[in-house]
Amino acid sequence: MDNNGSTDILSPPAAKKVKTQPPDDSLDIKAVLSDEYKKDITLIQVHSSQVETKQQLQAVIQELAQKLPHFQHLKRVHDRSVLICPTADIKDTLEQHLKLHKISDNVLEALCRNVHVVQVPASCARLRVQYEQMIKYWPCKFHPDKYAESLHNGSNFTASQRAFHKRMAQLLRSLSLDVNGGQPVGICVDPRNPSIVAIAAGGSSGSSHQHCAMWLVDHVARSQRGGAWQTQLQFVEDEPSTTSTLRGLPRLYYDYLQQQEACQDLQFGAELPRRGEQPSAVDQQADNLSKYGPYLCTGYDVYLLREPCLMCAMALVHSRVKRIFFLEQSDDGALATSFQLHSVKELNHHYEVFQFTT
Amino acid sequence: MAAFMEDALVEARRARDAGEVPVGCVFVHNDKVIARGGNEVNVHRNATRHAEFICIDATLAYCREKRLPARQVFSEISVVVTVEPCIMCSAALHTLAVKEIIYGCENDRFGGKTVIDVAAVVGQRINITGGVRSEEAMALLKEFYKGDNPAAPPVAKKKK
Repeated sequence: MDNNGSTDILSPPAAKKVKTQPPDDSLDIKAVLSDEYKKDITLIQVHSSQVETKQQLQAVIQELAQKLPHFQHLKRVHDRSVLICPTADIKDTLEQHLKLHKISDNVLEALCRNVHVVQVPASCARLRVQYEQMIKYWPCKFHPDKYAESLHNGSNFTASQRAFHKRMAQLLRSLSLDVNGGQPVGICVDPRNPSIVAIAAGGSSGSSHQHCAMWLVDHVARSQRGGAWQTQLQFVEDEPSTTSTLRGLPRLYYDYLQQQEACQDLQFGAELPRRGEQPSAVDQQADNLSKYGPYLCTGYDVYLLREPCLMCAMALVHSRVKRIFFLEQSDDGALATSFQLHSVKELNHHYEVFQFTT
Repeated sequence: MAAFMEDALVEARRARDAGEVPVGCVFVHNDKVIARGGNEVNVHRNATRHAEFICIDATLAYCREKRLPARQVFSEISVVVTVEPCIMCSAALHTLAVKEIIYGCENDRFGGKTVIDVAAVVGQRINITGGVRSEEAMALLKEFYKGDNPAAPPVAKKKK
């Protein structure tokens, strides 16, 4: 079961004098990208044919484009060699395969005269490093994606953003060790300020369904005057005239952080849910959090000590989290270790995933 | 066991009347319904309050009250739910190792069987039967999604 209600964590932690922590340079942040961004490329075997004359080549290309439209990611012709089809597609002979696809006699003859097998990249290049490997095998098309490149090389964060993410990683560690007996903890942050919206802890994964990430989304719900699970934890109460809310923060963790010298400059609190239907007058580029105010975890970042399991990872999809940062991989982790939920295209929401590495 | 789908449909209609996505669920233990519920996402502002989770929590409370071992009780439970459990709920039910899942209509947006193979990821297989009174379950969803979910912000128009 969870240890949210156990007595040992309810007693206040011994006040510690923590000196201003130096930024942890041993930590790095790495985007967890789906397999199509993997550095190692996949190759397939393909029938290729050297065509003798330019006239033949033209006719061949036209017919292949219509009747065997493979290799959209590659140049079909290279040095008068033309790609016909993957060898895996052939059931009997290449000639029969071409006849089956109604290739005309003269093109068939031109193609079958000088056939050989080549290795070509199986899918298109997403990153320049992939492209550079791929062109060693066959010329291919490439549309550079600046944002994907920045995720890959880490330039997507400014120095101050990076420093903030690392501070959150340190906070996860100290909250877990100092206040929660080494159990998983999670922090939800509104990245606009940035400001800490909610903090939660949970028992070890596998102990029940009340994992850390599930508690965290329920504590975020408390900041929106919701929340479903009963807990013995006390939560911070708001001043009557407040414009933001601390209700997602258990007193225990809030008080602990208030005592830390290194945390004096941290901001706490969530924007209150808006009543009106009209989006606020912000520019069109603004995200839904800025336009409509808090709704579930829309626009929020989630920092987790442990990589979430499949249940928790999907809970964070349902909650429309913007980005997940985690520190330690889990055996049942569903973002990097046993699965990559964020690379399932069918889902209606996709967050970005980052892992702190040492 | 499929006869209990009527109880699940009652819960789904109750959820609809409360302005929630109309999905209902009952947990059956020794031919008796020990937990029932519909979606409670909007009322709690918590996207994880699916009908199955309401029933999981109710089952744990039931076990505490009756002083029954929860792990064993879950292994004897038939989950009867109007819509295929989503990936989150399916993962939870596989991890809890319930006896079986019986559902109405498929969930092709984030079903835990239709979209990804949850059993393979979690490493636990349980019996799953779909298609029980699926038209009625689907009709409830269609009726609901004709109107907008009042709690959700408008869907952003897709670029490109």
